[in-house]
Amino acid sequence: MEKKYGVYICKGCGIEKAIDIEKLSKNAAKGAKVPEEIVKNHAVLCSPEGLELIKSDIKEGTNTIVIAACSPRVKYEEFDFPGTITERVNIRELVAWSQQPNTEEAQMTAADYLRIGIIKVQKGTLPEPNVLEDLSKTILVVGGGISGLSASLEAANAGYQVVLVEKEAELGGWAAKLYKEVPRQYPYEKLDDPIIFSKIKEVESNLNIKVFKSAVVEKTEGQPGLLDVTIRNNGTSETIRVGSVIMASGWKPYDAAKLGYLGYGKPNVITSVQMEEMAKKGKIIRPSDGKEAKKVAFIQCAGSRDQNHLPYCSSFCCATSLKQAKYVREKNSDAIAMIFYKDIRTPGQSEIFYKNMQNDPGVLLTKADVTGISDAGNSSLFVEAENALLGEKIKVEADLVVLAIGVVPSTRAPQEYLDGLTEAQKKGDVAKNAYLETTPKPEFILNLDYRQGPEIPSLEGAYGFADSNFICFQYETRRTGIYAAGCVRQPMNISEAQLDAAGTAMKAIQCVEHVAKGIAVHPRAWDITFPDPLLIKCTACKRCTEECPFGAIDEDEKGIPFYKINRCRRCGTCMGACPERIVSFKDYSVDMIGSMLKSVEVPDEGLRIIALACENDAYPALDSAAINRKQLHPSVRFIPVRCLGSTNLVWVADAFSRGIDGLILLGCKYGENYQCHFVKGSELANYRFSKVQETLDKLQLESERCQLIQIAISDYDKLPDMINDFVNRIEEIGPNPFKGL
Amino acid sequence: MTEQIIKPDLNFINDVISSGGESLKKCFQCATCSVVCNVTPDDKPFPRKEMLHAQWGLKDKLLSNPDIWLCHQCSDCTAYCPRGAKPGEVLGAIRKLSLQHYSSPKFLAKMAGDIKYFLLLFAAPVLIFLTYLGITGKLDFANVPKDPVKGIVFSKLIPTTFFIDPVFIAAAAFAVIVFARGIIRYWNDMSRNAGTKGGNIIGAAISAITEILAHRRFNKCEVTKGRSISHILVFYSFVGLAITTTWALIYLYGPIAMKFLGMEPFKWLLGESPYPLTDPMKILGNASAAALALGILLVIFNRIKNSAKAGIGSYYDWLFIGIVFFVMATGILSEVFRLMDIAGLAYPTYIAHLSFVLFLFAYAPFSKMAHMVYRATAMIFAKQAGRE
Repeated sequence: MEKKYGVYICKGCGIEKAIDIEKLSKNAAKGAKVPEEIVKNHAVLCSPEGLELIKSDIKEGTNTIVIAACSPRVKYEEFDFPGTITERVNIRELVAWSQQPNTEEAQMTAADYLRIGIIKVQKGTLPEPNVLEDLSKTILVVGGGISGLSASLEAANAGYQVVLVEKEAELGGWAAKLYKEVPRQYPYEKLDDPIIFSKIKEVESNLNIKVFKSAVVEKTEGQPGLLDVTIRNNGTSETIRVGSVIMASGWKPYDAAKLGYLGYGKPNVITSVQMEEMAKKGKIIRPSDGKEAKKVAFIQCAGSRDQNHLPYCSSFCCATSLKQAKYVREKNSDAIAMIFYKDIRTPGQSEIFYKNMQNDPGVLLTKADVTGISDAGNSSLFVEAENALLGEKIKVEADLVVLAIGVVPSTRAPQEYLDGLTEAQKKGDVAKNAYLETTPKPEFILNLDYRQGPEIPSLEGAYGFADSNFICFQYETRRTGIYAAGCVRQPMNISEAQLDAAGTAMKAIQCVEHVAKGIAVHPRAWDITFPDPLLIKCTACKRCTEECPFGAIDEDEKGIPFYKINRCRRCGTCMGACPERIVSFKDYSVDMIGSMLKSVEVPDEGLRIIALACENDAYPALDSAAINRKQLHPSVRFIPVRCLGSTNLVWVADAFSRGIDGLILLGCKYGENYQCHFVKGSELANYRFSKVQETLDKLQLESERCQLIQIAISDYDKLPDMINDFVNRIEEIGPNPFKGL
Repeated sequence: MTEQIIKPDLNFINDVISSGGESLKKCFQCATCSVVCNVTPDDKPFPRKEMLHAQWGLKDKLLSNPDIWLCHQCSDCTAYCPRGAKPGEVLGAIRKLSLQHYSSPKFLAKMAGDIKYFLLLFAAPVLIFLTYLGITGKLDFANVPKDPVKGIVFSKLIPTTFFIDPVFIAAAAFAVIVFARGIIRYWNDMSRNAGTKGGNIIGAAISAITEILAHRRFNKCEVTKGRSISHILVFYSFVGLAITTTWALIYLYGPIAMKFLGMEPFKWLLGESPYPLTDPMKILGNASAAALALGILLVIFNRIKNSAKAGIGSYYDWLFIGIVFFVMATGILSEVFRLMDIAGLAYPTYIAHLSFVLFLFAYAPFSKMAHMVYRATAMIFAKQAGRE
């Protein structure tokens, strides 16, 4: 494609009042070596007239467009010109709204940004999507409980083929074991019959859904769109190609055997799961003598919100106990149900059910720390509690005690096993073999063929749930194309699980559709570019394969990497990792960013600092600061990067050799509560830059000139000061000694 | 720290609910009530703990609890309760159950608290007077002689000395005995529960009575501010009427007693009623009646005005208010009809008046009338136990 350039400067939203547009136009043409006549301006570029100006040029053949106006984070629909290379230069937020208007600094900043933008399109090429062949749009659902069945129906009703794998002989999971359900409809008074059986019927009669019962996933190979799943069923194995996976493998109740201190083991102490079975059979009785239970005590948070057991809240146990209290009351109006809670937590509409149940004279509630269960003689029990509102130390007689037991995700056992294996591996082969021999292997769920392990990886603070910590994208796991629904993701009730399943089905559909068009799925769900390494120069160092957070890169027997491109999230971590700088995207490459930062004009007097800003959190934070009219230091030029993981060390040399005085990396928080959209980009950048600082020291360049700042989007108000502090430190250190060389 | 054994009682929970505490179970123990209450002590404040105890049916902790009477049902708690649990109403219900618990015979206690038995209870005093009239043939009012000077004289319908006084003395004696038994049991229970040796009872009694006379606690109410005025009017009108009654007894029996002692009766001892309107005793009586009328109408008006915030109250409350109202209304009308000399209206109204007054006296220990005795007792107990 022969490039025909067009540069458009908007004067609206206060830009004209802060910047001399004529001067900027001339400067752009000069600095970036484009003919002056292609630089145009308009009072309101996003207006129909302004857009027409651009569109008429496109008709005339203009195909490479630079728009100097507002932030690329706004007006993206207006400034969308398919078939062109379009770059947005942010002179509204980063100049007009955050610099002293009509100063030489503001003018220079705008000129720098415009030049950077022109260089970028000069270096870029028009991307074309990479669509793989033989793609499948079938969706695999693992788990046939309420989440899995709902997800299957959602996907099937949207017209997709679904393969549903259930390990039990019957569909339904826990939801099929319930006697009744918490009321689903206003006024939330009457218990509902389980909804699951109608779902099972619907699934079994749906022609789009193929059901495998008593089946497990033996292996999951490949990449989204091309996932080959081996299903073992009745001793035979079958491989099916699917496009994406919904993991709805559910939960297990916490092991009540560990709750001896709450009396588990005594005949009249049962779990909430056993209570459902009992209610289903008929009467609420004391197992010890079969007599009707008249005083039933419910112990909430039995092993939950307890550092020694499950540290988290399982969200639905309070509503479950209230429901079971209703079993007690409905089956015998003389019986009482006593609920001992830490806090009653009934999220959503179950709060109304709680209020209704509280109104029942025979449902007695008290906040209390239950310390134990003791014998009261005659097989009766005493619930012993402290810090109750009823008294500092109390004893209440009960003839049946129900422990409201928490949720353990099905992913926890495999995660713990695999983490243990990793630990053993670190100690050597002997320890590893000993571990394999002595540790029983739990049921695996997906058996992924991934270099990073066969299951969804564990996450500190996620307690074994299939969580990604992608706080804004709840169904995402850290494996592209695999989405978690229901209690495997977080504890939730039946209604929530159905909503969750619908959300997950949408994500799974989005995945297969994007893959079919060669578009990234998450979080860059518009991106058709992809990493395209120049493999002739590859030294087989394996850094890219090791660092890719999504296992998208494997190496062949010679150690040469190859991409499973549909696993790729286009963060550019491989591009940042590669010491040979051979990984490029059509609109993002080491050379491109290097050229952009080299194009920043370095003044003879005063400092010039470059900030590489992660475009997921840091860059929006800059925009927010500007929207709030916070001043950004005029010495700093902000260049967005896909992820700090994509920052290549050569950019440091590029910047400092040009005489730049300091380099800031603005990235996401990392560690346990990371907020990186690509899991560990900023962490990797930090690691790489700790190495570069040694080099800087050798060059007699103070290592403090290069710093990484972790910032969350909500820190926008603190960001200008963080930047000012950095600039002040550079001022103390003095100018870059290489300046002017 | 002693371990308490909690014994929930579902029947008691249902009793509280059916006695006017139907909102009881709504309470979710946020303690807003105890925070907004101006009359509770700071230590172990009410009504939060009473709400919880009632929700769990802990009868023993409630019935013998002095705190239920320290509450003056300002209804600040009810107005501010975020869940509509109306602690003020619930405490009212608990007080009713406590009164019933301490008064005997039990069947009367039960009947006084249940609308089903109202007619039966009311029939007793009515029948007493009608029976007398039937026997003496005075049901036909034409047989009741009029005084040539004074006109209608009620003692000619029913003689004061030979019928009314014995009946009322018996009723009063019954009430006093029932009250005494109840109060002794209540005091003993409170002492046992509090585990205190007991302080200065005389000092506490003086302090409590001054507080009652000044209505100091009532004045701390916010939502139902006007209640202290209406209660003062009703309270002091009862005091006035008590003085009037005593005075009348002196007028009636003074001359007889003096003659019996061989003395010449004083001139101002007027003897048989009715007395002239200008007599100081009559002035006090009429003024008290007017105050009672104003007071009880204000009570009713305030109740209705505050019902959205404070609740409308239970049958138990309204029975008491209603009886006082009719005592007042029939009393005033009897006098008016008598002065207007309309025998056909005056006599039935008077019979009704006697019946209402007897109702009030005889059932006092079982009705809300008993609050004056129990509240005073609880206040004295609390003061001597140092619970302010």
